Amino acid sequence: MNRQNWRQFDWLLFFAIVLVSIFGIVMINSAIKGDPELVDLPKRQAFYLGVGILLVFSVAAFNYRLLRTLSIPFYLSVLALLAMVGAAGQTIFGAQSWINFFGLFPIQPSELAKVALAMALGGYLADNLDHIGELRVVFFGVLISLPILALVALQPDLGTAIVLAVEAAFIFFVAGLPIRYMVAGFVLALLSAPLAWNMLAEHQRTRILIFIDPAANPDAYFNVKQALVGVGSGGLLGKGYGQGTQSQLHFLRVRHTDFIFSVVAEELGFIGATMLLFLLFFIIWRLWRIADRSEDPFGKLLVAGLTGVILFQTLVVVGMNMGLLPVTGLPLPFVSYGGNAMLSLMIFIGLAQSVAMRRS
Amino acid sequence: MTKHSPSTTTRFWVLRIVTVLIFVTLLAQLARLQFFQGAGYQQEAIVNRTRVVRVKAPRGVIYDRDGRILARNTAVYNIVLIPAELPDDPDYEISQQKRRALFQELYDIIHEKLAALPPPVVPTIEPPDRKNPKLVIEASQPPQPSVLTVDEMDALVLERELGSAFLPIVVASNLPREVAMAVVEETYRLPGVHLQLQPRREYPSGLLTSHIIGYMGPIPKEQEKEYAEKGYAPDAWVGWSDLEYQYEDVLHGKPGVRVIEVDVKGKEKRVIGEPTEPVSGKNLILSIDLELQKIMFDALIAGVNPKRSTSAVAVAVDPRTGYVLGMVSLPVYDINAFADGITEDEYNAIVNAPGLPLLDHAITGIYPPGSTFKLVTAAAGLEEQIISSKTILNAPGIIYLPNRNFPDDPDLAQPFVCWIYKSGGEHGDINVLEALAESCDIFFYKIGGGWPPGDFEGLGVEQLAEYARMFGYGELSGIDLPGENQGLVPDPKWKRIAKGERWVTGDTYNMAIGQGDVLATPLQVTMMTAAVANDGILYKPQVVAAITDAENHLVQFNRPVVRREIPVSTKNFEIVRQGMWMVVNWEYGTAPDAALPDIEVAGKTGTAEFFDPQLGRDLAGNLPTHAWFTAFAPYEDPEIALTVFVYNGGEGSMVAAPIATEILQKYFELKARDEATGAQSLLDQLEAIAP
Repeated sequence: MNRQNWRQFDWLLFFAIVLVSIFGIVMINSAIKGDPELVDLPKRQAFYLGVGILLVFSVAAFNYRLLRTLSIPFYLSVLALLAMVGAAGQTIFGAQSWINFFGLFPIQPSELAKVALAMALGGYLADNLDHIGELRVVFFGVLISLPILALVALQPDLGTAIVLAVEAAFIFFVAGLPIRYMVAGFVLALLSAPLAWNMLAEHQRTRILIFIDPAANPDAYFNVKQALVGVGSGGLLGKGYGQGTQSQLHFLRVRHTDFIFSVVAEELGFIGATMLLFLLFFIIWRLWRIADRSEDPFGKLLVAGLTGVILFQTLVVVGMNMGLLPVTGLPLPFVSYGGNAMLSLMIFIGLAQSVAMRRS
Repeated sequence: MTKHSPSTTTRFWVLRIVTVLIFVTLLAQLARLQFFQGAGYQQEAIVNRTRVVRVKAPRGVIYDRDGRILARNTAVYNIVLIPAELPDDPDYEISQQKRRALFQELYDIIHEKLAALPPPVVPTIEPPDRKNPKLVIEASQPPQPSVLTVDEMDALVLERELGSAFLPIVVASNLPREVAMAVVEETYRLPGVHLQLQPRREYPSGLLTSHIIGYMGPIPKEQEKEYAEKGYAPDAWVGWSDLEYQYEDVLHGKPGVRVIEVDVKGKEKRVIGEPTEPVSGKNLILSIDLELQKIMFDALIAGVNPKRSTSAVAVAVDPRTGYVLGMVSLPVYDINAFADGITEDEYNAIVNAPGLPLLDHAITGIYPPGSTFKLVTAAAGLEEQIISSKTILNAPGIIYLPNRNFPDDPDLAQPFVCWIYKSGGEHGDINVLEALAESCDIFFYKIGGGWPPGDFEGLGVEQLAEYARMFGYGELSGIDLPGENQGLVPDPKWKRIAKGERWVTGDTYNMAIGQGDVLATPLQVTMMTAAVANDGILYKPQVVAAITDAENHLVQFNRPVVRREIPVSTKNFEIVRQGMWMVVNWEYGTAPDAALPDIEVAGKTGTAEFFDPQLGRDLAGNLPTHAWFTAFAPYEDPEIALTVFVYNGGEGSMVAAPIATEILQKYFELKARDEATGAQSLLDQLEAIAP
């Protein structure tokens, strides 16, 4: 049962992830060209990838079931960290989401929150699978999710809060929550929308308003418009690596993070963007496979939650780059620049591999 | 939950399907943007990154025949901000504070310097006054300095920071030079503040040449495409009237064009393709003599009663070439009013003022030529041998033209009077010389329409009209100014179509003395006189005699252009000229006061009745009259043909002839002065080197 089996390690998934991450570093290198302040970002991202690969193997070697016993203390410490951010966090783009831990390296507690939520909610629902239809279980599950969600939302980091909500929904769904509860939850979320609106920060309201009525704020609309022009002008083969006029002449802002997909589509065209989308699709497909094949409910729910996060972020970020969805400020998994996102994603993948290696 | 419980597996399949749907949606949107809307976005990407930078080409200068400047380029001083060079700070609040402090300082400096200047004069264009019309409309003051407020600067800078942060924003315009320079001295501590010189057209001869030079304005909406194809910048100004309009292509030159690639702030990254250098516009050298122009202007102003006459014209041409020496049309406006852009109210005030100041009445106004037309009737009668110089006709004060159908019924006969009849007189037996000199109407009625009771056969309308056309009536003279009117030579066909009536002998009578439906421009009358003076060569009148490039090298010399040689013998022209000589130099002539002491002048007066619904008839039932005088001099070897026309002026001999005399006298004084100094005009020099 607890036998670890490296033959079950999903090497295809692993290689796909390394490939898409290298693809990301290459595109970051193009996106930051000519900006002396950002010149060492590709190197730093490569470093994070290296550390991330080590993390994948070390977390995979660790039995995730042992982690389950740690899920409650881990959950509580993440809550504490999130609360601390309110007091000591640094403001970046209006969001207090970073905490410089003992001055060693900055970590983003909201990234850890995604793991903590999957472990805590997954652990609780795995124990109560037979009673999933009971209101008591549902209520307690929601009770586990809400504090962490609220603290992230108050940072304020609306984007991540929505990701956490979606993650919880994926876990509930896989746990077999009756559809009527799902519908009721959705309706409840809609009804509480006005309340949420009041809680939103000004820039978040602006983002949503711009999505609904782009002409309302020409300054903010500019970014979305330029991303669309970048994607649209790419054509079949693109303008060539490092040759995108939208990115190289800085019409596109936050090119190496929020709008990296637009850079890909502009410089590498439909072919390059399709290849990137296919790699991401393949990764998600393999993750569903791991979750589906696991015979341990906790493993299933854990991987399903984390995969939901990757799927949702991919949808939101790529959709935003193509004008389908509002601007959220979320990173594109594995591709956007960002050490925290990369490391926490690698922990996800390590956990998923750990589940894959311990199927029975 | 059992291993592989069916329900979780089902749910994973749902998730897989959702995943596929999500990616298919993303791919579909990607394909839509890149393939179906790709062309549009590619265009937008190009518009984003390319800018067309135009370097304005100096417009050509306009000189008179002596090289005096009539139109030139000066500059207006503006202060501009370049947003990309303004103080900046990563913190938006601090950045805003720094900038607003700079805007405030700039605003204070400009206001302080402006306050030290004498107070501005309020614009002086007055609304048209029907009771007190003016023949001279002065220019309004040039636009006063204007400065944006700090808030306006702030708003404009914020707007520009996206995409065009390197394009200057005008924050203060039309500054006096000393204020602009004082601001420039402060720019070392005001980053982003610059001086901008904006080209401005200036007309040093202002009022004197307004109807010749014309004015400029922004490209009219309906011609935007046409000018864009010629390479004009959208904000370029183009000629709107007169020479500025007619010679737009010559004067304009070609702006230099550079296509550059810019980054998001509008900063130049590289030049795309080959830039072109600006090519200066070419200069015009006119045949106009500014000194003569002023003489004509002053003489008209002095001689015209503005309470009575709403407009007046003087035109002088060289009968040897057709070059226009001077051309004044009243009322006149100062074209400098248009140089800085004019408000709609100001424009309407000018355009609707009594006498229609914007029109050059010398070429656009058509009036009955009156007795000046008798030159045509006389020449035609002589050439067609209706009369000879010795033919004597009886000219009582009034004749009764028998009715065509009832020639024996005196009650149906139509009376035709001579101007002299009003004072109870008559000309009696008279020959053509005396008839011209005394301007006898009866004599010319008979030449034109015949005299059935005396079995005297006249020219008839067809022949009279044919000669009128040969002298240039009823057709465009082809002068190089826009808006010319061709006037009207009536004939039976015209009358049938226009009035639905049959032509009668009475119509021919009226036409023979330049009344009835004959209409001519003062320029047409002048060209007729010139043709009489030069033995029948009808020239095309020309204002521009030469074109030079920016370095004043001759590009083109406009030689005289002969429109036609009028088929009238020299002998007959001599008779007509002799009659004109007697007008001035014979004691019974109509204009004996027009004689000059040293120069022999020949001329013809005209007092042309006209109908104006506002003027109606006087108490005695008489129609108002235009005053005409057309002349050439010297009698032997003529070098100037001149026409003076005064709208509703009254008697030609009383009103128009004195003005013409004044002009001719001053003209010959001027000539004597130039001959004494031996000065050679610029035009003469150019003609000497012209191929």
